[in-house]
Amino acid sequence: MATIRSHARVQRSADDVWKVIGDPTRIVQWFPGVTAVTVEDNIRTLTLAAGLPVFEEIVTLDDRMRRFQYRITGPLPVKYHLGTMDVIEDGEPGCLLLYSTEISPDPMAFVLDGVISEGIENLARMLNDHTEDER
Amino acid sequence: MGRKILFITTDQMRYDAIGANGGNIARTPNIDSFAANGISYDRAQPQNVVCMPSRSTMVTGQNVGTHGVWMNGVPLPVESPSVAAVLRDAGYRTALIGKSHFEPLLDPFLRFEENRQGFSGATEGHRGFDHMELATHGAAGFTHYSRWIRTNHPEAIGMFFQVLDGDLEVSDVPGGDTGAPQIKRNAVPRDWYHTDWVADRTISWLDGLNADDDWFCWMSFPDPHHPWDPPESELHRVDWRELDLPIGYPQNQAEREAIIDSKPRHWRLWYDGKLVSNYEAPGKWVPATLTADQIREVNAMAHIENELIDEAIGRVLAAIDSKGWSDDLDIVFTTDHGEFQGDFGLLFKGPYHVDSLMRLPLIWRPAPSAGGGIDATARVSQPVGLLDLAPTFCTIAGIHPPEWMEGRPLPIDDADAVARGFERVTTEWDSRQPDGTEIHLRTIMRDNFVCTAYQPGSVHDGTEGELYDLILDPLQQVNLWDDPDRRSLRDELLIDLAANFVEPREFRHAEAPV
Repeated sequence: MATIRSHARVQRSADDVWKVIGDPTRIVQWFPGVTAVTVEDNIRTLTLAAGLPVFEEIVTLDDRMRRFQYRITGPLPVKYHLGTMDVIEDGEPGCLLLYSTEISPDPMAFVLDGVISEGIENLARMLNDHTEDER
Repeated sequence: MGRKILFITTDQMRYDAIGANGGNIARTPNIDSFAANGISYDRAQPQNVVCMPSRSTMVTGQNVGTHGVWMNGVPLPVESPSVAAVLRDAGYRTALIGKSHFEPLLDPFLRFEENRQGFSGATEGHRGFDHMELATHGAAGFTHYSRWIRTNHPEAIGMFFQVLDGDLEVSDVPGGDTGAPQIKRNAVPRDWYHTDWVADRTISWLDGLNADDDWFCWMSFPDPHHPWDPPESELHRVDWRELDLPIGYPQNQAEREAIIDSKPRHWRLWYDGKLVSNYEAPGKWVPATLTADQIREVNAMAHIENELIDEAIGRVLAAIDSKGWSDDLDIVFTTDHGEFQGDFGLLFKGPYHVDSLMRLPLIWRPAPSAGGGIDATARVSQPVGLLDLAPTFCTIAGIHPPEWMEGRPLPIDDADAVARGFERVTTEWDSRQPDGTEIHLRTIMRDNFVCTAYQPGSVHDGTEGELYDLILDPLQQVNLWDDPDRRSLRDELLIDLAANFVEPREFRHAEAPV
C-alpha cells in the first residue's frame, strides 16, 4: 500500500477553510476534473469530466477536529483507500491544510498524488483570492 | 515555398529492426529507401529510454535535465518550448498525428490537454501543433483513435490486448502460441488498426493543405511497442517457428545468467522477479521464465508490426507524391527508444543502458531539391542524439535554432560530425516508485565505449557501473567497470560525463504511472 501527502498553507482562518472542506458538496469547486457531486447520507458520488462516476463513503466529518475522511468505493480500481483532510490551526498566520491518502494498488498513488496536489493548490488559491468563497 | 518536413517515429523500435540496418526479417522497403537516398546514423541514442522523457526531448531539443520530464508520468509543462511552435511561427502548418505522450495517458480526471482533446475529439492547437490527432497502443484511454474505435467499431474494443490489469499494473497475461506476456491474437481488421489509422489521418490532414503550404508533420506510430497484438490477418507474414534466436540472447542459461551477474545487481534482481524498478514491464512477470520460443514469437510480432508501419509509410509517401511535393520533402525517421526483444533473456525496457534500448534507427532523407553538397548516401558513425532533431528541423526550414535548444543540427556526414564536435552522447535514467525503489543512471557513449555510472538509490550505493567496448564486445556482455586495466579509461569517461551531463534541477511530481 502506498501513502501520499500534500499540504498547503492557506491565508485564512481554520474556520473559513473548514467551511469548504467540511461541506462535501463543495469539492466540485476546487478538485480538478469533478463536474458534479451529490451527497446522500454518507455516500458521495462524483462525476468526472469524462463522464465517469466515482463512488465514495464519507467516514468522518468532525467539525471539532476539522477532519474529513472518505473512502473511494468504486468504480476506480481501488482495493483500499482512505483519504484524510485535516485543517490545522498551528499558531502561524492562516492555517495548514493537510491531505493524506493511503491507497492500494500502488499505481493509483501516482494518479491521486498529482490530482490532489493540484486540487490543494486550487483550494488555497480560491480561498486566498476570493473572500466571497468563505460563505 | 520552402521544404516540407515529414517526421516519422515509431515507438520502441530496435536499431536492427529495418533492412537498412541489417534486419533481414521485416520487409521495410520504404524506410530502406530513405537510407538509400539519405543519411543513416549508426550511433543515434535517446536521452532517456522510456517514452515521455524521450519524446519531450524530441519536441524541445533539450536534455532531460532541462525539460524536466525525468520519468514516465511526469508531464511536459504546457509552457515548455516546442519546435512545432518555432516552425508554426515561421509560417509552417504543423501537425502531430499518432502517439504524442508528452502528458500522462492514465488520466481519469482529464487533467491533461492531450487527453481532453482525445476525449472530446477536438484537434486544435497544442504545443505549437495546429492539429493533433492522437493514438496509443490500443483502444483504451482518451485518444482520438480510441474515440474513433468506440464510435465506429465498438465491437473491436475488446479485441486488443488489455494493457493494464485489475490492479492497474502492466498486465502479464500470457498469450499467443507460446504464452509470452503481452501477446494477443487480435481479430481487429487491419484497416481499423492504429498503424493504418495514423496513416489515414495523416493523409487526410495533408489533403487539407494548400499546394504551396510549407508543413511539418510528425507522424508517430504507436508500434512496435508492446502489447504485441497486430491484426491476426497479418500473422502469416512471419512464422515465429522459423525465426533464429537473437544474437544477443545467450541460449545457455548459465552463460546468460553469468553475463547478467556481471552487471549491477538490479539486472539480476529483475531477471529473478525480485525487483520492479519501473512501470514499463509487467510487474508480476519473471524474466527468468522467458523461453526461447516466447522470444521467437515476440520477435515475429514486432517484425509484423514493423512491416505494417513500412507499408503505411508507403501510402503516405504516395499521397505526398500525388501532390507534387516529393522533391521538396525532407523525411526524418527514428524511434523514441529500443526494446530488449530477448537480448540477455529480457523483454521490454527499463534502467538498462545497453544497445538494445539505446541504439536507435535514425535516417534523414534530405529533400532532393535541397542539394547543397549533401552526400545523400552517407552513414554517420559519430554519436548523435534525439535532442539534435529539433534543431535539424529548424535548419531544414531555414530558421536558426533557438538558444533554448541544446542539440545541434544533425551532421551530414562523418567529416561534418568531426568538424562540429559530435564526439559524445549522453543518456540518463531516473525512477522512483511508490514502494521506495529508486534508480539513477548516467551514461556517456564516446570513442566506441559506453560507460554508465550509477548514482545512489535504493538498489545501488553509487559505486556500481558498466563499461563496454563496443568494438570488441558489440553485444555488451563483458562489463569492464571493475577491470583494473580500464580504470584510467573509465575515469576519463566519467570526467567527460560529468562535464557534459545536464543534471535535473528538480524532480517534479509524477502525475500518473505512465
